[in-house]
Amino acid sequence: MAKFVFIVPPLTGHINPTLSMGAVLIHRGHQVGWITLDPDLGAKLPEGGELLLIRYNESDQQKQDSEQYLDIITKKIVYGIDSIKFLYEEVLIPLNRHSYEGIAGWLEKYKPDLVITDHQMFAGAIAAVNQKLPYVTSVTAPAAIKIMDELPKVHEWEVNQIIALQEEFGVTKSTSIACSGLLTMVLTSKEFFGELELAPNYHFVGPVINRRVIKTEFNWDLLHKNNRPKILVSIGTTFDHEHKKNFFAKVIAAFGQQNMTVVVVSDPSLFDVWPDNFIVQRMVPQLELLPSLDAVVCHGGHNTVCETLINGLPMVVIPIAYDQSHVAGRVVRVGAGLRLNFNRFKANHLLEAVLQILEDPVFKASAMKIKQSFLDAGGTEMAATLLEKFSVNEPLELSNS
Amino acid sequence: MDAIVKTSKLNNDEIFGLMKQFITEVIGEEFVEEMDITPQSSFTKDLEMDSIEIVSFSEKIKAHFGEQIDFTGWLSAMDLDQLINLNLEMIINYIQECQSSK
Repeated sequence: MAKFVFIVPPLTGHINPTLSMGAVLIHRGHQVGWITLDPDLGAKLPEGGELLLIRYNESDQQKQDSEQYLDIITKKIVYGIDSIKFLYEEVLIPLNRHSYEGIAGWLEKYKPDLVITDHQMFAGAIAAVNQKLPYVTSVTAPAAIKIMDELPKVHEWEVNQIIALQEEFGVTKSTSIACSGLLTMVLTSKEFFGELELAPNYHFVGPVINRRVIKTEFNWDLLHKNNRPKILVSIGTTFDHEHKKNFFAKVIAAFGQQNMTVVVVSDPSLFDVWPDNFIVQRMVPQLELLPSLDAVVCHGGHNTVCETLINGLPMVVIPIAYDQSHVAGRVVRVGAGLRLNFNRFKANHLLEAVLQILEDPVFKASAMKIKQSFLDAGGTEMAATLLEKFSVNEPLELSNS
Repeated sequence: MDAIVKTSKLNNDEIFGLMKQFITEVIGEEFVEEMDITPQSSFTKDLEMDSIEIVSFSEKIKAHFGEQIDFTGWLSAMDLDQLINLNLEMIINYIQECQSSK
């Protein structure tokens, strides 16, 4: 039995895969903890998982600081390349700086055999290096790596931000240690990620889908009442009210009069009236829902895109910020869908795009191909097996094939 | 020789026209009709192009000018702030520079 610790940022998309990997490790008899700033994570952990909450001897100021990081990313309207600057300067660097002491404290106390840190929680890598603990990295937003290929100077700028933080905490190295040289698990398949030469420590394990059942009411009878195309529209959890209001106004105009059922993930109170063919809920049981659907409209968050593809569904991607533009680029490149520009698209473009992916079977066929590549990559079980191997200090010979 | 090179040189207006054509190809004609594209238009703020759109735009320039200019190299040497502020005029000037150094 080994002891594992996951270090996660307070971002749903980055946390969910660790919950699945952790559940498998616990099931196989290991001890697993999660280091986080978010007290609410406790309720989401798999049975037997330990919450290692970062808590400082809190002056009110520090407590407020901790809380502000929990939803910082939702507070500003960001778009395009600008958002990368915002992400590093105002979210990731302060978040990691703030978390470092807490992470270091937990690692000393918990004494894990293996640290698994998110690629955006570089404070975890720094703390592990300083305590000479082996660490591996899980890349939950693989498109972020792709930027080094498409916009090398932007990537270099990102790396420099990380290097400066490393130096602050005593790691003097001219390269970023965010991605572990031991093992960096990229949570997608090589087919979806695209051509890019990566060092052998990078291993494509496929998406790690969080299979945990979420207790959410859903009117299945209403969904299946009509034999007509069914689509899901979701732009995830990280964008604010104004973004959403503009977006869903266009969704209503696009699909309100159409012969299709539209499941929308949104606060129903956003509009007084929604069209009759819409089912609007703040949360939906997305994984249970996807097998009944024909297509998805989303913002290009890595998890929703992977969940859509692993169900072999085509999609329309409307990226808003961060790495989503690159995720959308991949969806288009592999032929599994179409992309629209978030600021420019109008209702008729959305309708045309959705009709096109529903009618032309080539999109569905491409999505099915990516689905197969995801299944072949191994997913959660493969990830857990790799973690076990590295926890006993007998690293596998890895290949990137 | 000089004469041949000169005829292939584009003036500022011609380069600007070409840029507009590439932008149209990347983002679609009907969007461009509603925009007031000028040499001062920035890709991120004014034209609201995201990073993948900027990458496809640069691929079109590369395809058009080929070996004549190292556009991808020039673009990839830009840091984040330069990229955020990138406008058409900067590209026009760069292409002019390459043309006059040939």
